[in-house]
Amino acid sequence: MKRKAVVLVLALLLINTAFAYGATTVKYLLWLDDPTDRTVHDLVDKFNALHPDINVVMETVPLSNYYDQLLMAISAGAGPDAARFKDWWLGAFHDADLLEDLSPYLEDWPGRDDVIDELWSTGMIPGVDGVYMMPHQFITFYMYYRADWFKEAGLQPPKTFADFLAAAKALTNPAENRYGFGLRGGSGGQDQWLAFMVAGGARIVDEQGNIVINSPKAVEVNQWYIDLFKQHKVAPPSAPTDAYPQVTGAFQAGNTAMMAHHVGSSVMMTQALGREKVGVLPIPSADPAKPATMGTMSGNVVFSTSDVKGAAFKFISWLSETEAMDKWSKSRQGQLPVLKSVAGQEFYVDNEFFKVSIEGGNYAVVWPPLPGVGYVSAYVWQNTMQRALLGEITSKQMLDEIAAALKEAN
Amino acid sequence: MNSPALIRKWKGCLFLWIPVLLWLTFILFPYGWMLITSLKPPHELYTSPIKYLPSVYTFEGYRLLLETTDFPRFFANSLVVVAGTLLITGVFATSAAYCFSRINFRGKGKFFGLFLATQMFPAVLLVFSLFFIMRKLGILNTRLALIIAHSTFSLPFTTWLLTGFFNAIPRELDEAAIIDGASRWQTFWHVLAPLAAPGLIAGLTYVFIYSWNEFVYALTFTADISARTLPVGLHTFMGEYIIRWDLLTAGGVLTGLPIVVFFMLVQRYLVQGLTAGAVKG
Amino acid sequence: MVRPVNKKERQLPFLLLGPALLLMALIVAYPLLQALRLSLFQVSLLKPDAAQFVGMDNYRSLLKDPLFLRSVLNSVMWILGSVSLQFTVGMLGALILNKDFPGRGLVRGLSLIPWATSGVLVALMWTWMLDGNYGVLNDILVKLNIIGQYQPWLAMPTSLGGVIAANVWQGAPFFAVMLLAAIQGVPLELYEAAYIDGANKFNQFWRITVPLIMPTIMITTMLRIIWTANYMDLVLVMTGGGPGQASITLPVLAYITAYERLRVGQGTAMAVLQALMLMVALSLYLKLLQGKEEGGFII
Repeated sequence: MKRKAVVLVLALLLINTAFAYGATTVKYLLWLDDPTDRTVHDLVDKFNALHPDINVVMETVPLSNYYDQLLMAISAGAGPDAARFKDWWLGAFHDADLLEDLSPYLEDWPGRDDVIDELWSTGMIPGVDGVYMMPHQFITFYMYYRADWFKEAGLQPPKTFADFLAAAKALTNPAENRYGFGLRGGSGGQDQWLAFMVAGGARIVDEQGNIVINSPKAVEVNQWYIDLFKQHKVAPPSAPTDAYPQVTGAFQAGNTAMMAHHVGSSVMMTQALGREKVGVLPIPSADPAKPATMGTMSGNVVFSTSDVKGAAFKFISWLSETEAMDKWSKSRQGQLPVLKSVAGQEFYVDNEFFKVSIEGGNYAVVWPPLPGVGYVSAYVWQNTMQRALLGEITSKQMLDEIAAALKEAN
Repeated sequence: MNSPALIRKWKGCLFLWIPVLLWLTFILFPYGWMLITSLKPPHELYTSPIKYLPSVYTFEGYRLLLETTDFPRFFANSLVVVAGTLLITGVFATSAAYCFSRINFRGKGKFFGLFLATQMFPAVLLVFSLFFIMRKLGILNTRLALIIAHSTFSLPFTTWLLTGFFNAIPRELDEAAIIDGASRWQTFWHVLAPLAAPGLIAGLTYVFIYSWNEFVYALTFTADISARTLPVGLHTFMGEYIIRWDLLTAGGVLTGLPIVVFFMLVQRYLVQGLTAGAVKG
Repeated sequence: MVRPVNKKERQLPFLLLGPALLLMALIVAYPLLQALRLSLFQVSLLKPDAAQFVGMDNYRSLLKDPLFLRSVLNSVMWILGSVSLQFTVGMLGALILNKDFPGRGLVRGLSLIPWATSGVLVALMWTWMLDGNYGVLNDILVKLNIIGQYQPWLAMPTSLGGVIAANVWQGAPFFAVMLLAAIQGVPLELYEAAYIDGANKFNQFWRITVPLIMPTIMITTMLRIIWTANYMDLVLVMTGGGPGQASITLPVLAYITAYERLRVGQGTAMAVLQALMLMVALSLYLKLLQGKEEGGFII
């Protein structure tokens, strides 16, 4: 009798574990950049087919509300196991102990050495050991210019701030509703602003991690940026609130001669204007010997609250392996691949937009993982930039406010 | 010469058709702009000087919307949620309004205050607590969660509006009916309901549109596509660096249609003079 | 007077009101109380367990915050501008739709389009139309010689006006439908009697229509004021509150504070303060409209 009972219990236990093992469900939250593109769905199906012991369930949230929905799910204790994530949010989430350190898992991950070395830092917190975000899709800012207009005016594509301003002035003609540069003062404009700030030699934090965004150097570069609109008037009058649709729209409509963006819009631009009219070049810099631009990583994280961290890591690391990476990067919602094996392919090397972007990766600066970055990029930057553009506050006051918000603990 | 007739004709033009046309222009201009945009090929969206009409009309946006996205599913979900909300709010609001209008009981004013309180807060600040409740009830990711939320938040205004319409009907009417031996239900159904029909139509129109367009709850309670509704679906056409104007505008044009059809069907009950006989009685 | 007489009658109010009250108690009561409670805490959605009781501090700090005061001011302009214009345009619409003409059903149906369009689309279309470089409204106004050159409507310190324009478009049909329904309830005989007495159209409207549809006017304007106060989709998409602080309204600030600045307690306190201010304003408004009658919510 006794033995029978033991066998029965053991059998039950076995069935139980087998069952649980067969049904390890990983909840993966993400936003899609283009809902007509099925690449991600296909990748998830493929992963599930390759890994019968794991079942990845995707939940999609529109990007405009992604951050709030993530916060809400977490505060209710119903957060996902893994999620697509921006480097801007790392600081706040790490500060709340919500992110799992991936370094123990990475030891056994075969793709580890294939990741472009500099990019690991986008998932790290200064002064803290560990990797908190898996690099996945990267972008760096470059500049579009109207090749045809530059040719007509006999101008060379600018490499320095001085050339840039001169070209912008030469191509500005308000009577024809035409301006040199599509400055983005509205929502999302902090990224191109940061690209110019770092290209001018300013930094948000120094090597020791001190906030130096309100240093005299930064104030000077910021003043130069503000004056593009305020003093030189080479940006459209609508610049203070122009956001992505306005800036890209104005370039396509022929209202602006130059604008800063990245490879994500290259297909749209060439389709609208024709390839021969769209030139691309790195962000000009104050000192041509010290090029810099802004980069931002959209990676993947595993939450410390998850019960299935191993399986979750398996999935997000699989997304960063050669095959999946290549598919995602080449899809309509693709950005720059973070693997050397993929970035070296002809597809990326032969495409000028990709080429300039990937080169930018060598000197790109990202938003530092401070807890206040989410708040600064969602509101403080926009608010202070616009007031500075309208002359309500000075460059110094603007940067002081940003520095204070970056320091703000929560 | 028939000058009085001519004057009347001119007057008709001046006081009827000109206002109607102005009204239609006001109403339709932005929608028309959206319609035209939805038919433009993508590279003609931004032009300077502005091109009003597309050089080629394309229905590609509509085709992509219906074939490659989950739009049809969102559409169906929205219809189910609206139908459920209309039913619940319709019944609950009518009975509550009847109660407020026709039955004396203590604390009426307080109840109205309570109804009002539900409307006082922006949804974004209530939603995380509601998320918690829906999770406890185990109905996250279902259309039921949305029906419940939409009914709750559309009830107060509908009730209040209907109370006003019931109050406008002289009490002598239902008292007369009751004296004649009619039950409360019969009085309601045969006397009050027909007279308050315009109010009911207006109230249900409000409920329909509220539920059809509601975004915050729809987003929060539905993390996957099985229960997702149109407004959330439209938001997914805006990615980090991609705005699918073709899908957005085509979706916007299609989203407006069911409401137009709904109102065209029910507006015939908005007829003046139904109370005419009532007052004499 | 119909009076509760027997037991069944006495239970009737509970039966009729019960379902509505139950739903509200179940769904709204907890979030409302939770919101009141949260406004006394310093808490982040990322660390719900680390909530710190701070009493009235959230409220005190708000009253000293110039950005909060600015958003209150903007909200007042937003509400007054939107609701008064929506009402006026809606009333004109109701009077037009009340006339008898061929194709009226279709016109009535089409009239709902702005109201039926989701907030984000309204915001995107209007942003597009108001654009300073390629906006169609600029083009039309320049061609009609009303303005000399393109204006960056949403980048000017008056940007709230542009957002209000979009809101008037979206909200006017609500009033048109509600007022149209109310006008249907006015007995025709009253107009006939007035006509015989020699009252002109304007007098008929002012002396007969307006007083009789007053309950609907009060209900719709009051609720509309509350909804407009809390409505933030248009501001969020069209200007994000800018340029600078030119168009930031209270719910937008509350949303940013709660979700971006991660201070839920403070964000909620803003909403509570707004609710209190609204209640005071609305009871004054009710007194004004109802004249001598003592407050209370029953109309």
